[in-house]
Amino acid sequence: MLRDRRTITLVAMYVASVAAALALSALLIALTGGPWHKVLSALLDGAFRKKGRWGDTLAGSAPLLIVSLGAILATRSGLVNIGQEGQVAVGAAMAAFVTSRHSGPVALLAALLAGFAGGAMWAGIAALLKYWRKVPEVITTLLLVFIASQGTGYLLTRTFLLLDPDPNKPNRVQTSAQVDSSTRLGVIRIFGNEFPLTVPVALILAIALGIVLARSTWGFRLKMLGLNPRTAQRAGVSVVRTGAIALMASGALAGFAGAMMLTGGAANHRYTPGFANNVGWEGLLVALVARNRPMVCVPIALVFGALRTGSGFLAATGVERSIVDVVRALLVLALLVPPAIAAIQRRRTQPTPATTTALSTMVPA
Amino acid sequence: MIAVVANALSDVLASEAMYNSMIRFAIILAFAAVGEWVAERAGTLNISIESMLIAGAYTAAVAFDRTDNIAFALLCGTVAGFVVSLLQANLSHRLSTDQFVVGLTLNLFVLGLALFLDSQWKAVTSVAKPTRVPLLADIPLVGEALFGQPWPMYLIVPVVPLAWWLLFRTRWGLELRSVGDNPQAADVSGIPVNRRRRQAIGFAGICAGLGGGVLVLGQISISGYETGHVGLKGIIAIAAVIFGGWTLRGTLAGCLVFGYFFALQQSLPVLGHRINSQLAAALPYVVALTVTAVFAARTRQPRALAQPFVRGLT
Amino acid sequence: MGVTAPAPAARLTAITKRYGAVVACDDVHLDLRAGEIHGILGENGAGKSTLMKILIGLVQPDAGTIHLHGDEHTIHDPQTAADLGIGMVHQHFSLVDALTVWENVLLGDNARLDRRRARVQVADIADRYGLAIDPDANVGELSAGLRQRVELIKCLRRDPRIVILDEPTSVLTPAESEQLFTTLREGVASHGKAVALVSHKLAEVLHATDIVTIMRQGRVVDEHVTSSTTATSLAKAMVGRDVSLRASAAALGATDVLEATLEAEADQADVTLDDRPVVLALDAVTARRRDVVVLDELSITVRAGEIVGVAGVEGNGQRELGDLLSSLLTTDGGTVTVTGATVRAGRAGAMAAAGIAVIPEDRHDSGCVLDMTVAENLVLDNPERVARLRFLDRGRLREKAIAMMREFDIQAAGPDAPMRSLSGGNQQRVVLARELSHDPKVLVAAQPTRGLDVGAIEYMTRRIREAAERGLGVLLISTELEEILDLADRIVVMSRGRVIGELARHEATTERLGLLMGGVSVA
Repeated sequence: MLRDRRTITLVAMYVASVAAALALSALLIALTGGPWHKVLSALLDGAFRKKGRWGDTLAGSAPLLIVSLGAILATRSGLVNIGQEGQVAVGAAMAAFVTSRHSGPVALLAALLAGFAGGAMWAGIAALLKYWRKVPEVITTLLLVFIASQGTGYLLTRTFLLLDPDPNKPNRVQTSAQVDSSTRLGVIRIFGNEFPLTVPVALILAIALGIVLARSTWGFRLKMLGLNPRTAQRAGVSVVRTGAIALMASGALAGFAGAMMLTGGAANHRYTPGFANNVGWEGLLVALVARNRPMVCVPIALVFGALRTGSGFLAATGVERSIVDVVRALLVLALLVPPAIAAIQRRRTQPTPATTTALSTMVPA
Repeated sequence: MIAVVANALSDVLASEAMYNSMIRFAIILAFAAVGEWVAERAGTLNISIESMLIAGAYTAAVAFDRTDNIAFALLCGTVAGFVVSLLQANLSHRLSTDQFVVGLTLNLFVLGLALFLDSQWKAVTSVAKPTRVPLLADIPLVGEALFGQPWPMYLIVPVVPLAWWLLFRTRWGLELRSVGDNPQAADVSGIPVNRRRRQAIGFAGICAGLGGGVLVLGQISISGYETGHVGLKGIIAIAAVIFGGWTLRGTLAGCLVFGYFFALQQSLPVLGHRINSQLAAALPYVVALTVTAVFAARTRQPRALAQPFVRGLT
Repeated sequence: MGVTAPAPAARLTAITKRYGAVVACDDVHLDLRAGEIHGILGENGAGKSTLMKILIGLVQPDAGTIHLHGDEHTIHDPQTAADLGIGMVHQHFSLVDALTVWENVLLGDNARLDRRRARVQVADIADRYGLAIDPDANVGELSAGLRQRVELIKCLRRDPRIVILDEPTSVLTPAESEQLFTTLREGVASHGKAVALVSHKLAEVLHATDIVTIMRQGRVVDEHVTSSTTATSLAKAMVGRDVSLRASAAALGATDVLEATLEAEADQADVTLDDRPVVLALDAVTARRRDVVVLDELSITVRAGEIVGVAGVEGNGQRELGDLLSSLLTTDGGTVTVTGATVRAGRAGAMAAAGIAVIPEDRHDSGCVLDMTVAENLVLDNPERVARLRFLDRGRLREKAIAMMREFDIQAAGPDAPMRSLSGGNQQRVVLARELSHDPKVLVAAQPTRGLDVGAIEYMTRRIREAAERGLGVLLISTELEEILDLADRIVVMSRGRVIGELARHEATTERLGLLMGGVSVA
């Protein structure tokens, strides 16, 4: 009975805080002179209603989903990887490195693997610094985002690295060579919509990760590590090794998402400055909102993907598309509050309070 | 190659502009770093210091654009930083939401908000004029840097000793330090742990907000708010605290070190050295990464750093 | 207790506190009087700590009133309690290592911070109560006895009229305890303060108090003038049934009874275990933590079937010894061998794999995962046992868990109940069940009965004995002398990370052990 009442209060709190976030967003739009219902309508047009748009939305959601799955891996093991934006960039750049030199299906596979490896390597730097030098991974992954964007930017200034040597390249923008059509991911076409293979791959990954985390002995150990690293170490889960693997796997998925974006058609199949385009940040937010449950990430990623594609239609309303970033962050903030309040209420009525996992994990001295 | 580097270094050492810009960067970093230092001594780690800087910078720019009053604009920036810190403090140390999750979300929120508002209300500030201290500013090389800055820059001069005094000479500071080292002990001694932590974050917000204001109003070369001005300086400030081994002196030294590399990135092209702009831009961050790697393990951090406190939990 | 007696320093009336379905305090009445040392005796979980937390403002009661010197007060928080003249000396967690003595003493006050005055004050109190200390010392570097002295000064500085001590002797050597009681008697009570001494040790309460209140399951079951009561009657009131003092002496903290038993045993020849094989050998193990040497050329051997007790004052390397044998500490030198094979220290799971079972000092820290289920906690170290092709088989996990729960009599809503929902005793049984489930060679029990009630203590004690009888080498690390005297065949005493003395069971007395624990080597 008490449980039911709690559930009802929780749902009520969710409704209230989301409503508050939306109201605040509407107010913000109104304050800057835009009509909020037109904004909403434009978003829906851009995300679903106009011809061919839901395919784009799916295509945009898939990398978010893959990134969010990576974020979950890190969080499960008690680590805070917030550097996905950089890992996506490095993964995509590595893939571009392969695709600008080779073509064909084998090159595609190699490019995807390169993306995977690139993301893993980038997160691996943070893992190394954490376990070797005890630098908090929160700081390092974040710093690495900036270094990744500048570093991959540098790659685009040299033709022997990534810069497209073609003198006829469009707009004189610094980009990599376009991925050859034989090296691109397959495209699925239904009902006048099209989206790359990334979509089914992301879905399969979500399901697989859900099962692995919930059922496999590896998932079991990862959970143990995240919830109590000292007990885990005693029971044979190496804090350093398993933690490093989880962090690197987390980065690998982000890098993989980057490679999928490149070969799946993002930025017209070219690696460009700012290629990651917030996919890393948004994917991370998907995981936060889904409270680290892989299957819940699927609908959340779809919503976030819809916001992305929908925002492209905002220009007509005269409202800056960056409003979408504000609305999204407000929504995430709103979704953080109810479970926190519920936890406090639970704690008040229980003799033993809930543990909050300490994020700086103990390493044997 | 070595000759080129040596040549560049000697140019840099002889350049007045270099010292000037190094001090300016260091001061901006110091506002955020001193605030974050206080917050970390109380056991909290706020990556949202970044968003407090952004909020301060944008608000101060808009306020100056509308009123032409530097002092008022700085006040507005400070308030904006404080408001963001209230969000962080209450979400993470009242509702016990994970402090990194809150910090990250706030960073994205404030960045997006400033970007959006900036597209609606473009804030343009006129270029600040340096205040020269007579004679002292004429000291060769470093005179201009130390005694010829626009006046908001000098606000760091009272802020640093104030932070030290608060932390080491007041009861509030004693309680903050106890909360950062052993919150359970502080709690049974009758100290409201999470309230002190919220206050410490609030102090960080005030410092960073002011720092953001100084960032846009105290620079000679920048006019107005632009996305990217802050560019992870908040995170670099955290790195400075780590570099400084959670001491105030060390933290300030860290600010100087990172300030030097920011300045290097700006000055080399000016001095006629050809350097790739992307690599130069990445330099301070690479240095931050390296430097924290060297210093994080060696120094003694507050024992309860980044660990949430819930009464009854041991 | 004349008819004209003034209002008691504190009068708690009909105090009730519930946590969900658990009643921690049930209609409790208690009077504390000026100049009296009042013992509050009870098992762990009897409600005495909750009661004191209510008086100090850390916990709010659901019902009941508190009168101080005749006036009713509501105590919202420790600050209010301090303002009302109530001070507490906590068992753990109330000093901040990073601060100096005077800073710690001032913590929780609200006057302006004045370093010079604070230091003078500390010196004053030290003088008045006979508690000498250097006000500028770093608390982190002080011994347990001195730390408690700081606690006491911190409490007395505000000149409280009521002083509460929560299990004050758990971190002290017998000599230090004796000194504390003298201070309480001659310094504190004689200054007209009311003293509440919370304890679960019979001997201590009998020895040091004027009046004693016995609590059981949240209720006050009895109150006596101490001089008119006996150990047997107190024990009966405390546990709620007739207990054999002899059998439960350790659990009840009845030291004298225990010693009498030992003397009686000494007449019989010691069963020699010297011909049994050595199962665990630590040879000159040295380890540091935060650059401080915590284990200093430590050498201990344990033979099959033998219970070796490691005695010592808390904080002398026992925790690190436990960590070492739990793969949580790397060494700078020395070796650990289990049945002849060297085990690499600090490598995840290596100690467990070599056959060392551990009941850790703090089960929440390294013994179980509170946010996993009971069944999961039972297979933490080897989920492969209930897995098929590296995927957990839920059915087999349940089956296995139910069997283990039955064998060890674990009370829980079911195998899928969260570990967090279990009582301390049952959590301890889960740990024990798991640790004994795959044929270990060595059982390390660190403070295995801390925080448990008498019933649970008896169960643990029995299990430890059985383990030794089955041929396991048992290393019992405990700060409770009674527990060690009760169980161990051989006793080593640790001080500052090294063994400073070893006694056979029949040679051991509280006195000799106490001297050793204080760091005095006796030849």
